[in-house]
Amino acid sequence: MSHPLPPVGRVVATELKPSTPHQFHFWTARDTPIGIGAIVRVEESGRVVYGVVTDGFAYSDLVTPMHAVISADGDPVAAGLEPSQRAEIRLFTAAVLRQTPEEPLQPVPLGAVWLASDADVVLALRMDAYTGGERATGIPVGLYAAGGLESPVYLDCDFLLGPEAAHLNITGVSGLATKTSAVEFLLGSIFQTFPRHKGSVAALCFNVKGPDLCFLDQPAGLTDEDRRQYARLGLRPEPFAEAHYYAPFKADGVNLNTLRTHESLARNTHPLVWGLREVLDYAEVVLNRDDVDAKADAFIDFLAERVVGREYQDDLLRGKPFQVQSFADLEEFFRAIFDFMEVLGKGGEVWKTHHLATIRKIRNRLSNISTRSKGLVTDDGAAHDLPWGAFADRSVHVVDVAGLDPLAQDLVFARIVSKLREHLERRDLGVDHVVVFVDELNKYAPAEGADTYVRKMLLDLSERGRYLGLVLFSAQQFRSQVQRRVVGNAGTALFGRMDMDELSTPAYGMLSPATKIKLATLPKGELMVRHPHFTQPIFVRFPRPPVLGGREGIERFPPAVELPFADAVARQLRGLDRHVSADAVRALIDGRREDDVRRALGVTRRERPDDVLAFFTACLGRRVNGEVVASRRTVPAVRRGDDGYGF
Amino acid sequence: MAPIKLAHLRRALALRGLTPASAVPEASGGRTEEACLRPARLVEDAALAWHPVGTSEPWPGTLAFLDGVQRSELLAYAGAAPIVAGEVAAAVRERSNRNLVTVLEERRLLVIARPAALAAAGALPEPFRTVALPTDEPPHPVRDLANVARALDRARGALELELGERYRRRSEGWLVVDGALTESPLWAADPRMLGVSKSHATLPFEGDDLDRYLRLPPGHRSSLYAPETRSLTPVREWALRLWPWEGKDVFHGLVRIEVAPANGNPEMADRLSRWLLAERAPLSTPDHRWDRLLYGIHSVEAYLRADGRRLA
Repeated sequence: MSHPLPPVGRVVATELKPSTPHQFHFWTARDTPIGIGAIVRVEESGRVVYGVVTDGFAYSDLVTPMHAVISADGDPVAAGLEPSQRAEIRLFTAAVLRQTPEEPLQPVPLGAVWLASDADVVLALRMDAYTGGERATGIPVGLYAAGGLESPVYLDCDFLLGPEAAHLNITGVSGLATKTSAVEFLLGSIFQTFPRHKGSVAALCFNVKGPDLCFLDQPAGLTDEDRRQYARLGLRPEPFAEAHYYAPFKADGVNLNTLRTHESLARNTHPLVWGLREVLDYAEVVLNRDDVDAKADAFIDFLAERVVGREYQDDLLRGKPFQVQSFADLEEFFRAIFDFMEVLGKGGEVWKTHHLATIRKIRNRLSNISTRSKGLVTDDGAAHDLPWGAFADRSVHVVDVAGLDPLAQDLVFARIVSKLREHLERRDLGVDHVVVFVDELNKYAPAEGADTYVRKMLLDLSERGRYLGLVLFSAQQFRSQVQRRVVGNAGTALFGRMDMDELSTPAYGMLSPATKIKLATLPKGELMVRHPHFTQPIFVRFPRPPVLGGREGIERFPPAVELPFADAVARQLRGLDRHVSADAVRALIDGRREDDVRRALGVTRRERPDDVLAFFTACLGRRVNGEVVASRRTVPAVRRGDDGYGF
Repeated sequence: MAPIKLAHLRRALALRGLTPASAVPEASGGRTEEACLRPARLVEDAALAWHPVGTSEPWPGTLAFLDGVQRSELLAYAGAAPIVAGEVAAAVRERSNRNLVTVLEERRLLVIARPAALAAAGALPEPFRTVALPTDEPPHPVRDLANVARALDRARGALELELGERYRRRSEGWLVVDGALTESPLWAADPRMLGVSKSHATLPFEGDDLDRYLRLPPGHRSSLYAPETRSLTPVREWALRLWPWEGKDVFHGLVRIEVAPANGNPEMADRLSRWLLAERAPLSTPDHRWDRLLYGIHSVEAYLRADGRRLA
């Protein structure tokens, strides 16, 4: 192998610090480009060893600090003015990444050490197995940089999105935009480089706080250095071409509960509204562990299979059949049961084998969700959902749950992930792979605490999702506070700047003290990557994501002020047809019941008619004006004296 | 250069009928000197006096250090005559921006024995050079080993001279030599060379002067004197106390400074002494001679001993 650059060091081995097949030590000049995380190559006698620097030491020939004090006469200033500098060593420890030949596996030879070139990085990280050829599966994750050299680092999509391994977990302290930026950059990289022969891919992101993911379709202002890094990685710095946003309404049912309410962004910002049917299928989510028992399950099953969405006839309850479509209908159904039981008196504690207490409990829980999640859960039964079955290749769908009650957030997670799973199982989602991004994983899959439905669902996703093409990208500030199996199943892990308290937990015991210090001081835009092909963690830097960040997005697209009911309806309709006049809408709904307007608006949104205003008007129905009841002619009272019976 | 395996050499000598041996001769680690008094002539003051030299000052300009090392190992016996393999090395390390860098280095491998023993050993592999011991007396292993040590001393001294002259051809900077300048007339006359002797086997005074000489206070120098030398290379000397000696030993921190006669005046002696006092730091520990060993000289020795033993 030719070496255009001179070696930067030399392997040394002593009895106390020997070379082993997994680790070696080398010294360098005092002024060296080598640092923690640098990849180096050792070559000697036909054996080539690649390693990554994990620790560094410097010491002089000073035997004891006392000698330094004596030679400086106790004056620290004089200590720096010694005419000769002591002999010093820069000694580095490196962990072996790869050896060639791989067999027989031997201790690292005591040869010269070079900084790794582009080609060396490819070999060292075993990227040669998946970045070359016609069916390459490499996904750029960042640039490895050391000593003025810079090499792209690729993840293997077979190990990132399945089927070999899957899932990705990101850990990093909040406030440095590491987690969100990393996932935005990586999703963009996946969308641009995911090979066609592996099928189609889409992403579904849950925006759990602020405006973090609210502007994925808006371009960011990038520096020349960012653009250079994109070019080096072979990527185009473009925002997501096909992004769709979904957010529930606020309690008024017309203003969206998201920070993405700027009028110019309304085109692809859709309401997320579910009805009773959608909620009931995931009723388990809203039940706490104490609630979940066979009796409750049986009653929920009864409601789901026999009552909701069907015609239910029970002559004992009332003469006409129940048509339960909405929470209001359900409440009427419950009311009928309770009235019936009340009539039965003391003996009326069981209705169709379901105990009255169980019925009351289920009724309370379901009405609770409709109350706490007003805006997500509609009372009129008209749902606006994600485009199940019509997910487009390279599309990203953001569900904004940041403003939702935690219970409602759980419901959203559970239902959406379950629906993804169902559709992927049936292969009718529209894409072959879906990346689900969940931030604040320590909140949804905590290491300790009650075993919630969402945690079980995330665990199931992490353990079995890859077979379906359902991939979990998750992030949290403290990995140690997340359910171990959920993060453990992530084939790839990214680490941004970390808190030292977190780094001192046993989970990071395999990292050297120097690597921990580097992680604790990692600048913005740098990550440590663990990937199945890399035998050691690797540090990379990545350019700023090509999409507008949350804070900038809010400045450029300030959220619309919460509008009065009529104006909010007008804006919703203008989102469907920009020719709709606000005045016309105001005049149209003036004096109407808000529930009627919401219902008409929901139907209009769902149907997306050509003539929006006409359709909406039709849905509202004819205005019923109040009537003044005219006094009727009355039959005069019988005069007392006319009573033939003498009363 | 790959180390030369002495075991292979011993095997080859055994095949030639010689008796392999491997004991390390005594006194192989350095020069051999005999204690003696050689009264010197004072060139400053009527009687030996102490002179405070003032506060230490950094050495201006380029400064280099020259030193050499030697080692030897017994190879075999040809009858009663020992055959010894030796290595001598010397180097000059120059200081630039506080960093000491080797600018000159030379190493030689020697086989030292009586001519007959060398003949019995046959052709020796490159790069060994042969050094013949004197034959004016019959072979005696102990005496021959002492002669080997002297031969190694000479070989090392010659190498140091060679490097000193080569350095002077490439630089006009000050060169500090470990030992005496009187090894060479050129050195003894060089106004930019300075010898620092740690050894006090040869003392320049006796009686009360010697008492005064040995009790020199720290930061002081003795009067200048002209030592009695065996060769015709006049130099000037003075003693300088680098570190306090009381409570330790009269030789603790005491060095003998040797300069060309051109520098043998009180002003120059004071100035050079101040510069040398600055060279006390950093300490040349862990060498046990740290109180007299300048770090620059220590650095040359450490370099020569660390950079490859040619005999293994």
